[in-house]
Amino acid sequence: MRASSLVKRFDATCAVDGVDLVVQEGEVRGLLGPNGAGKTTLLRMLFGLVQPDHGSIELFDRPLDASDSASLDGVAGFVEDPSFYPYLSGRANLELLAELDRNDARAQIDGLLELVGLRTRAADRVNGYSTGMRQRLGIAAALLRAPRLLLLDEPTGGLDPAGVREVGTLVRELSSQGAAIVLSSHQIGEVEELCDSFTVLRRGRVVWNGSAAQLRAQAPAPGYALATSDDQQALAIAAREPGVEAGVAQGGNPAHGGDLTHGGDLAHGGDLTITVQEGYLDPYVLALGRAGVAVRRLELLLSPLESMFFALAGEPPSDDRPGRSEQAAASR
Amino acid sequence: MTATRTPLPEAVASVRSTHAAGGMWSVYRAERRKLASQLAIRLLALVCLLGPFVFAAILKVQSGSPTDTLYGVWVHSSGFAVSLVLLAFAGSWGFPIVAGIVAGDIFSSEDRYGTWKMVLTRSCTRRELFVGKLLAATTFSLGLVLLTTVSSLVAGMLLVGDQSLVSLSGTLFSPGRSLGLVLVSWLVCAVPALAFTSLAVLFSIATRNGIMGVIGPGLVALAMQLLLLVGSGIWAHMLLVGSAFNGWHPLFSTHPYYGPLIVGIAVSLVWTIVCLGASWLILRRRDFAGVPVARRQGWAMPVRVTLALAGAIALLAIASNWGPNGVTAARLQASLTPTFNNLTLLQQRELGRAVPAGVKLNIVPTCSRRGSSPRGPGDWVCTMNVFIPQPGAVPFQQTPVTYDVSVQSDGCYKAQSPPAFIGNQLMGNAQGHNVVNPLYTIYGCFDTM
Repeated sequence: MRASSLVKRFDATCAVDGVDLVVQEGEVRGLLGPNGAGKTTLLRMLFGLVQPDHGSIELFDRPLDASDSASLDGVAGFVEDPSFYPYLSGRANLELLAELDRNDARAQIDGLLELVGLRTRAADRVNGYSTGMRQRLGIAAALLRAPRLLLLDEPTGGLDPAGVREVGTLVRELSSQGAAIVLSSHQIGEVEELCDSFTVLRRGRVVWNGSAAQLRAQAPAPGYALATSDDQQALAIAAREPGVEAGVAQGGNPAHGGDLTHGGDLAHGGDLTITVQEGYLDPYVLALGRAGVAVRRLELLLSPLESMFFALAGEPPSDDRPGRSEQAAASR
Repeated sequence: MTATRTPLPEAVASVRSTHAAGGMWSVYRAERRKLASQLAIRLLALVCLLGPFVFAAILKVQSGSPTDTLYGVWVHSSGFAVSLVLLAFAGSWGFPIVAGIVAGDIFSSEDRYGTWKMVLTRSCTRRELFVGKLLAATTFSLGLVLLTTVSSLVAGMLLVGDQSLVSLSGTLFSPGRSLGLVLVSWLVCAVPALAFTSLAVLFSIATRNGIMGVIGPGLVALAMQLLLLVGSGIWAHMLLVGSAFNGWHPLFSTHPYYGPLIVGIAVSLVWTIVCLGASWLILRRRDFAGVPVARRQGWAMPVRVTLALAGAIALLAIASNWGPNGVTAARLQASLTPTFNNLTLLQQRELGRAVPAGVKLNIVPTCSRRGSSPRGPGDWVCTMNVFIPQPGAVPFQQTPVTYDVSVQSDGCYKAQSPPAFIGNQLMGNAQGHNVVNPLYTIYGCFDTM
């Protein structure tokens, strides 16, 4: 899939502004960005749902043509939440979609329902499904098309941790069979292990594009929240240790919404935070032990990729921390 | 996603795209299945199936009859009249409501459920989706019309009988001819029913709002009913697709004329083409841009459509006097006189009197319109001066019979006379049974073109 110089405006808002995107066979690309970055509009353009004001899209070396039913052959996925006819059962919905696809997938519906764990609820009407079940049905609907290009918008939204893992496994299996996959997310934590490459969007523009290895290489040191028996002394030791930078975060624990910047004061309820270069955490903890400072809590605040993502996307970390995905999905 | 799940290659890789020709038919089959599974459609089918039986059963147990409707006075005398009265009701309200329920939500439901993005990313184009959905809506609309046709005929024949039908010229049509004409009448009304289906599709696509799509055709039908009561020009009235539902009336004259029928079908086809053309233009150009943008547009479109509709109705109201006024005293007299003659003969035969075939009474009619204008639809008074030969110095006995005549702009009328002149609605026939007095209410039509 190759998208070149895509532009889409809605009234005065430029939702997508000159985006280039290439996804190769077998590649899993993460499309990242905060809410409003233009990810969903970009996916809508790739599906032909929205006509770009400028630019071109090629799927399997052919220009995307919304008037040609074969144009989306081999392309599947969903934009935003997968939607179904609520008065029909899950199975009936898949049968309808298979009918529209005009392929022989109808015979595979049972297998797909089994695959996504909905076999026992297949006869129930979709209006009784939970968000996670709809998400699973959406994945089954995408797989009905035997996709060679899979475009998934927030595929893990509403899924429990086991479901998230299984989506990951599915994505890996499909990619190993040669399918190109685009995973859109505003939570890098959920997709960082899955993706071979990332495109980060901010306000409709690509602010970073490259492989996962490149992103990791450029990522800043991870940040931790630290609680010790003597925070003042831990602060002083950090100043002496190489590869460690310490500070006091104001406004409470950054893991729970506080400000990560170092402008706080331990005497006034600030929390000790450290950023540690790779390989320097263990020496620092040992140094604390030698000095008689007990480590009571050491919590990873941001992974290197998350730090990088937040820096690129310009979004404060408070809303997009791993573990808050269900809340975020619900609010969407 | 369970631990004992189907291996991915088996479940997915075995799917092969066959791409049989005709994505439109795939959409058609899918839409047919969706429509058939909806409760509203099932209830509607039940009403179309059982409604005529309920109507005929109610008529059976009560003596009254819907005389304001064409053929209403004959519902106790012929099962075919039951079907025609139901057709008249259906033309006014039934078909627009059916069109609204079947087609008014067929596109907007995709907006409501957010499923456009699912169906448009399958192997079918917008054109195929549009045509497939349209065909499915048309199939259900016509299917329900057919169901009501059969049901009304069966109900009429079972509960009333297949007696001969009194024509709008006062003669008797054989049961076979009556059946044929009733079937043709329902068939003719299928064309404006399709126009209302197209209108419902336009509402559904333009407003993206299921409520507007469902009630829109009914509101338009109401507006058309009101417009038909306003003004006297025939051109503006002919442009109303609602008047096409009356195109079958002249078929029930002994000398049928086809002008209103042909114009009604042509007008219905024009409405259909315009509505479908506008619908396709809107759908083809639409961006499926997500909830915030769609919601913003979703408010604008119903307002635009409502304003456009209000403007069109206002224009038609202003133009309601456009064209010649075809309702004149001469035409009314020319129609009412032979009808009165034939019904008088029919009455006499019912009473057991021998009446030679083809006999003509000596009638001198005079018709005048109530109100300022001497011509046009509305309330008229017609006096049939019947001169009956008698022995003696005065060779004729003059018997005046006065009718209050309500004439519509399409030339169809209902004439009623006070019981003091022609007796009650029911009279005893030669066998001692109560039958309808043919002269009590007279229906007729004349050509206004």
